[in-house]
Amino acid sequence: MDQPLSMKLASMSLISQCKLKEILLLCGDKKDLIIDPTLIKPLERICGVNWLRQHGIDKIYKMDPQLGSTANTTRVYFIPACILKYKCVLDQIASLLSQNPALADLKCFHIIIVPKVLTTYDSVLESKGLYGIVKLHTFAWELMAMDEQLLSLELPFLFKQLFVEQNHSLLSSISMSLWSLFHVTGKPKAIFSVGKLSASVLDMLEVYNETFARDFLDSHSSKEIGALIVIDRNQDYASSLLTPATYSGLLSELFNINCGHLDLNVKETKVKKGKLNFGAEEESGSSKNTVMTLDSSIDTLYGEIKHRHFSEVLSVLSSKAKLLKNEDIKALGIQEIKHFVATKLQQVSLFKQNLVNHVLACETIISEMSNKFENLKLAETEMLNNRNKKSNFTFVDENFGTDIHIYNSLRLMCLLSLTQSLTYDEYNSLVSKYLLAFGYKYLYVFNNLINAGLLVQPSSPKLSLNISNLGNLSDRLPKWQNEFQSIANKLKQLPSQPDKVGKTSPSYVFHGGYVPLVAVVCNAILTSDTFADAISKLAAISDLRVGGTILNQFKDGMETLNEKLSNLKLQSDLEFGCKDVKSFAKVLKSEPNKGGCFPLKPKTVLVYVVGGVNYAEVAACDVIQTNTGSKIIVASDCISSGADLMAAST
Amino acid sequence: MEDDDYWNTSETKAKAFSFDDDVLSTQEILAIGQRSTGQNEEGIFSNLSVNTVKSAAVPLNSLVSSKVLDLILLAQSGKDPSKETKQEPEQTVAMSLKRLTLGRSCSLHVHRSMKSKTELLDGALAIGDGNAVLTVVLFLIQTLNKKLVYELLSSRPVALNHYIAFLHNEGKITELTDLLTMLGRSPEAAMYQYQHAVKTQGNNVDALFRKLSNLLANHFNQPGVDQHQAKMIADYIKLLEWQKHVNKPELSYKSVIQWLAYNCTHHWHEGAGNAMSPLTLCQRHQITPLQYDWVVLNVHAKSGKWDIVESLFTKKDWFGRTTVSSNIPIETLLSRLSDLQASKQLLATCVNKVANSDDRLRLAHMYKIHAVVIETLAKQKDRAALTNYKMTLNPQSEEYILAENTLRDNSIKWKN
Repeated sequence: MDQPLSMKLASMSLISQCKLKEILLLCGDKKDLIIDPTLIKPLERICGVNWLRQHGIDKIYKMDPQLGSTANTTRVYFIPACILKYKCVLDQIASLLSQNPALADLKCFHIIIVPKVLTTYDSVLESKGLYGIVKLHTFAWELMAMDEQLLSLELPFLFKQLFVEQNHSLLSSISMSLWSLFHVTGKPKAIFSVGKLSASVLDMLEVYNETFARDFLDSHSSKEIGALIVIDRNQDYASSLLTPATYSGLLSELFNINCGHLDLNVKETKVKKGKLNFGAEEESGSSKNTVMTLDSSIDTLYGEIKHRHFSEVLSVLSSKAKLLKNEDIKALGIQEIKHFVATKLQQVSLFKQNLVNHVLACETIISEMSNKFENLKLAETEMLNNRNKKSNFTFVDENFGTDIHIYNSLRLMCLLSLTQSLTYDEYNSLVSKYLLAFGYKYLYVFNNLINAGLLVQPSSPKLSLNISNLGNLSDRLPKWQNEFQSIANKLKQLPSQPDKVGKTSPSYVFHGGYVPLVAVVCNAILTSDTFADAISKLAAISDLRVGGTILNQFKDGMETLNEKLSNLKLQSDLEFGCKDVKSFAKVLKSEPNKGGCFPLKPKTVLVYVVGGVNYAEVAACDVIQTNTGSKIIVASDCISSGADLMAAST
Repeated sequence: MEDDDYWNTSETKAKAFSFDDDVLSTQEILAIGQRSTGQNEEGIFSNLSVNTVKSAAVPLNSLVSSKVLDLILLAQSGKDPSKETKQEPEQTVAMSLKRLTLGRSCSLHVHRSMKSKTELLDGALAIGDGNAVLTVVLFLIQTLNKKLVYELLSSRPVALNHYIAFLHNEGKITELTDLLTMLGRSPEAAMYQYQHAVKTQGNNVDALFRKLSNLLANHFNQPGVDQHQAKMIADYIKLLEWQKHVNKPELSYKSVIQWLAYNCTHHWHEGAGNAMSPLTLCQRHQITPLQYDWVVLNVHAKSGKWDIVESLFTKKDWFGRTTVSSNIPIETLLSRLSDLQASKQLLATCVNKVANSDDRLRLAHMYKIHAVVIETLAKQKDRAALTNYKMTLNPQSEEYILAENTLRDNSIKWKN
């Protein structure tokens, strides 16, 4: 069991494989696999075609509502937990049954649902008369290693469900993924949660722990992971809304990235596609693009440049090209050429291809972003610090009136709203322009953004007539800090001189303007000598909770879930897997390092963002890791950009 | 860097584009799936599949023991551990909740008293498993009268949100409207109906028109509904009405701005008052002058009608000099003109509009408008900067000669 942690993390797919094998065993001998296209890439990380064939899959089809007959009677559908896709599959099965009623008795229909079969799915099955005919299977695949120290569950629809619809049905899947992971790594001693959903994740994790406690063989604390931090996405929307300055961050702004594979479409970038096209529409068709794999273990060059500030990337690439050129010339004698071909050629040509791809990507970034970058950066920084509200609004309003983008413009609006707030008229001016540009049908988008907490709707002046005088008064008073700035300042997220931050500040990922919350929390946990110290550094976070064995010494006797539930006060939190830090204040005063977890050992932190992490945050954690001589593993249900959050509201 | 152009040659580029021929498009995948010979399903998986190689790094049995693996598989399946067979004790609320959270089958019908129903709901909320919350809510809907359920939900917003999301996803909009109206949240109900209408009636202008007119009359005129939202929907109806009237299929479901672009292309010369005139559309839908200028600029520049662009955005001033006049802020205009590959002369006119000479110089540098750079440096009497700039230009080019001549100009009193 003493393999290095990174190897173990990369091998988690073997457990996923076993899980899938278990399901396929229940699906009969010879069968067709009908797969939702969004699941192809993730499945690729778990098994190959040969493996599928060894496990009874005869033919593979892409799920399509119009799919006709297939080779085998037995069909195994493979879809994500999305009710519309599920119903589409059921309709297809129902129509097959109407053509051939005899199929009903053959038990030949299986649906594998990632990550979980929900109870409502059973009811839908029953209501359609398909209960007993169709068998549903939960496939909870494990966290996938996307890159060194970057894990993802690859469930990109989770943000929309959890935050826009506020439907937490799949939240337990995150607990499940952690529960499995800890069987491999051991349980970390100290566990922290930031935000409501994260607290629930820990509560449910504890339910799993308790249920399977007697079988949990390795009950010792992890020797490999010192602390787990779980954070809700909505605790730090700013990091998603800001434009990243790192190479990988900008790649995700321009190109579609699916399960770690980047589609290098230099002609139709995400920035271009989101804008109105006034010219003659050139149908480019489905041109085949180069695919880049964003994994440092495959593309070492990517590993070198992924976290760099974009301004440095081209010079790194150029120096690599020079090296390569010199190497080419060296190969002279026949023996040398032979040796070169046998040993290094493939490596070198792969490296060349990677180099060319990165240069192409850089060129695209420059040509699409450079003109507007400076002004955008300036406006964002001013918003963060609550300065020049008027000119910031003018900047956003102008963007909505001219070069409006279906997602990125909304992002700016949201950022302005969260950092400096919008008046009723300002808000409506932007809404009107957006709807004129993209269609009135999108009116509901703004309500979705409000539900997700990405946007704050100002109240109508009519409703607030009584305090309108007060409102005028407060305009004349010196500006007080907004809530955003007051919390961000307490957590030291806003460097006072963005132009002067060096590489040792994680804020470089946003041009020195902002330190992502994940980096702040990791830093606090990694640099504190006592428990009390860590908590005081994070005191400005309103919803911070603690769990793990560190709690054992605080608990007034262990409580089981049953006891917890029977003593539950009306509408209170369960506090089963974690407890509000405020409840320890007294104890920690007399005994600041109760629990004995600090300073953290091993100095390895797993930070899990619920609702999608972005590349800028990963890069910021990398800085903390270097500064503190530690190891930070970033995990999430998916890797998403700000535009993805906006898209989830449309 | 300039001597490294070999990695930029068309040869290497072309190679880069073809290096990944093995990744198939979805159409190809589909084709393979339906091919009867079916030898080649590897195509559905790209050959880039790396993990299969990598995963051999740590054998499974040194990741987890076989006992633990069984446990993990058991947890996924949601089945009961085989040991606990058929010993069904009386079901407590806590036990039901635990089973729900673990994804095990569980009948809630033993919980018949109001007390245990309430406890179920609060317990599910406390654990935080949305699947359990929704299951309990639906159980309550089945077994309690609606008024009682709504009372429970109204004081439990998280549970309510789960039910709303459920009704919304199921398309049960009437029930959703009833629920929200009963809770005094009719503005939200109106918005959910709107979202449902535009998403489901999307491809039928007539049906959508009727549906929205109805919505506006019955739901968006109620107290508490935001006035601006109501106005937007009224504007939408106006647009749909117009769409029915004009009856141009290529304009169906286009936004106002897209429509404006169409009118600018095809009906540019029609004056205000005419049905398809761009100006008429601007009036009807309160398109701001900024938006109008932007559309006009893009449409005409992209179709190469620079004469229209120039006549609209430039005028002669008192001294007979051409200046730019537009609602588009000058920096934005400049950047766009450059993207649209406007003539150097138009760019120069545009950048000359910038009053502050430092800004002008910065922009002229950025967009390589040499004449303006040279002229501005001459005005600033900055011989050193101009000499440096000359070095960056192509010898014998027009701008190089201009720079040389300017440097030789005796009438300028250079400051350095």
